[in-house]
Amino acid sequence: MAQEADFKCLRCGNSFRAPYSPETEPQERACPNCKSNSVRRVKEQKEAPGKK
Amino acid sequence: MTYSEVENVTGYIGNFKVTIRKKARYVDEKECNACGDCVKVCPSCTPDEYQMGFSTRKGIYIPFPQAVPSSYLIDMKTCLGNNPIACAKCQEVCEKKCIDFDAKDEVVTVDVGAIIVAVGNDVYDPTELDEYGYRSYENVITSMEFERLICAGGPTEGHFIRPSDRTRPKSIGFIQCVGSRSKKRGNPYCSNICCMNTIKDTVLLKDHYPDTDVKVFYMDIRAFGKGFEDLYMKSKDEGVHYVRGLPGEVEENPETGNLIVTVENTTTGKIEKHELELLVLSVGLLPRKDSDVVRQLLTLSRTSDGFLMESHPKLKPVDAPTRGVFLAGCAEAPKDVKDSVTQASAAAARANVILASDKLTVEAITAHIDPDLCKYCGLCVKVCPYKAITPTDRKKKIAPQVIEAACAGCGTCGAECPFDSISMRHFTDAQIYAQIDAILDTNSQDKVVVFACNWCSYAGGDFAGISRLQYPVSNRLIRTMCSGRVKDEFVLYAFRKGAPVVLVSGCHFADCHYIDANRQTQLRVEKLWDKLEKNGIRPERLQLEWISAAEGQKFAVVMKAVEELRQKVTAEEIEHTKEVLAPKPKKKPVEEAASSA
Amino acid sequence: MVRADGAEDLRVGVFVCACGLNIAASVDVEEVRKFAETLPDVAVAVLNKYTCADPGQQEIKRYILEHKLNRVVVASCSPRMHEPTFRQCVAEAGVNPYLLEMTNLREHCSWVHSTDRVAATEKAKDMVKISVARARLLESQDETEIPVTNRALVIGGGIAGIQAALDLGDAGYQVYLVEKEPSIGGIMAQLDKTYPTMDCSI
Repeated sequence: MAQEADFKCLRCGNSFRAPYSPETEPQERACPNCKSNSVRRVKEQKEAPGKK
Repeated sequence: MTYSEVENVTGYIGNFKVTIRKKARYVDEKECNACGDCVKVCPSCTPDEYQMGFSTRKGIYIPFPQAVPSSYLIDMKTCLGNNPIACAKCQEVCEKKCIDFDAKDEVVTVDVGAIIVAVGNDVYDPTELDEYGYRSYENVITSMEFERLICAGGPTEGHFIRPSDRTRPKSIGFIQCVGSRSKKRGNPYCSNICCMNTIKDTVLLKDHYPDTDVKVFYMDIRAFGKGFEDLYMKSKDEGVHYVRGLPGEVEENPETGNLIVTVENTTTGKIEKHELELLVLSVGLLPRKDSDVVRQLLTLSRTSDGFLMESHPKLKPVDAPTRGVFLAGCAEAPKDVKDSVTQASAAAARANVILASDKLTVEAITAHIDPDLCKYCGLCVKVCPYKAITPTDRKKKIAPQVIEAACAGCGTCGAECPFDSISMRHFTDAQIYAQIDAILDTNSQDKVVVFACNWCSYAGGDFAGISRLQYPVSNRLIRTMCSGRVKDEFVLYAFRKGAPVVLVSGCHFADCHYIDANRQTQLRVEKLWDKLEKNGIRPERLQLEWISAAEGQKFAVVMKAVEELRQKVTAEEIEHTKEVLAPKPKKKPVEEAASSA
Repeated sequence: MVRADGAEDLRVGVFVCACGLNIAASVDVEEVRKFAETLPDVAVAVLNKYTCADPGQQEIKRYILEHKLNRVVVASCSPRMHEPTFRQCVAEAGVNPYLLEMTNLREHCSWVHSTDRVAATEKAKDMVKISVARARLLESQDETEIPVTNRALVIGGGIAGIQAALDLGDAGYQVYLVEKEPSIGGIMAQLDKTYPTMDCSI
């Protein structure tokens, strides 16, 4: 199943979608724009805030 | 052990434990005397891999007449089947009764002190280069196929013929650098062997069939080894035409099967057309695809060309980055027979250094758990990539212990422990805090704190230096063995002390020298991003980069990028960060980590 | 954590290497040396032309003995290159090899900041300061000895693997040669003749 999620590059600010599945995390990712590995998943609002 | 594969490797230098799967041959290799009676009765056929598919072999076969071991085997994909046994004609005729359809794969474990990786290479498949028409035109073959056609042990017993009409070609062309030295398709590197291989082929052709017209289309001839230039001159003296220029197009004359090659002769600057009866593509070498399993088991790295990386390109060219592992042959880079043999002997000599000693010392960088501080949470046991920490028992209050010989010193347990009960010898928390202090107690606003792992990102920095790549001066590196050593508290401490930007860097996931310890690095950085954001700190100020030892270029780019980010961090921002991260009264920083665990 | 030598006074020796002109061309090494003298617990700071060369190493040993140094910082090149060299050097003068710290002035400073001597020198000073800070907290370590299994594994039975296995076998070790295919020989066995001698491959 090809699940996807939103990601944001913390170097250049580029937002993009990339394959994502909680089972296979962590994954090495690179920003398609600037190639930085500082790629952060944009979490959905409804996700349980209690965890943090 | 032939027909065998390495399935698992554990342990460390001097003490590897290797699991090997010996695939079932269905023929007892010790008993088989290679009489060949079985082959005559075998009804199933498949293309013969050894002959590059120019002939067929049976389901029961010997790979080639001189094979070692000199024994037949059954390829179950071609055999009519053993479950249930569908045919068994071979079994009936085998006088020595050495065929066993019930044979099973055998798994053996061996203990070794040193490992030599000589997994070899693959050969480039030129199908994607459609201008050359390989697979479209029958008379376009690769240099590997040429070898079989000219070999006395080949499908034609050395009578050199072309595929379309089985006649001897009177004009033959070779195209060089197929799959090599191209940034667009194939590979950017020079495959080393193809020039000399073609020269050899032309000499063979002129030797066997002096009347053959032989042409070589090339961009440079690289004949730099001992005796190589002589052979090149011999080839030229014997009348081989060397045309400087790689063909742009190959067309087939459908009537004759001949090939019309269009090429710009760069010496004369003219477009030429050559009609040839056979065209040989001198294909390059590729890193071996199926070597990835071995690479990961031994935690080896690849250079950017995909071949296995040596410990140092000049001073340790046969040592792998993992201690006790050595590289030989085309696994490391494309090379010819002589160079393979040379490197293999060098690797054997290097392995000998280990094997000849009864004892070795390991670097004193291992972890130590203080049982008095331990709260038996077991996180360290979970994150240890080497299973070097004994299980914990919360009920019985048994603290885990580090198995010193198995611990490689990555420090990810030390970073994970919420109670500061693990100390890393030679990379203690106190030492690292002192380094952060030293960086930030003057002009902190001008500096970027960089955590760099010894094997990749720090080495990438070394490579940037060796390459004289210039980058901004703002970075200050703190070397740890693995990025997994970087505790979240180190990062927070740096921000608390006024760091504008912090970078955590390590090996690419596939290259981690501690199996997968850097996965923990990423998880910790992701948590830190959340934490920073929650505290109103821009997560951008914490950067994460994977930089291999070969990526000097990337190291320089990253140093420029973090400097650009640093310039955007305002003094107010830094002050705010210091305030919100200031330790709460009476609480040690340890508490934060503990509550999030 | 208690330092093994807690009672002892810290005496750090800093050895700044010019590396010919590799470092000295873009870093004012004398200024770095002078700065090092001002750092806490630094007993002596010395400039060498080539610290890794024999005279340089002799000087480290001499200073260790004369100034009773118990921590050594060598500000030269990458520890990935010369840490073993200097560890052995200090050990020969009676200092535990883990009490050595290196500052990578060459790969991480002079070579990569070759156009701004002032800025490179400032960074170099800072780097030495960071190293001294770490060196002050270094502790003696004893290396663990591990046994060695006197057998070898060779993965791959092509020409390289065969040669390596034969050599190790001739040296008297038991060798496991693992080949994926049914026969050893590899790609070389598929070749007809081989250059430059034009003889058979098998």
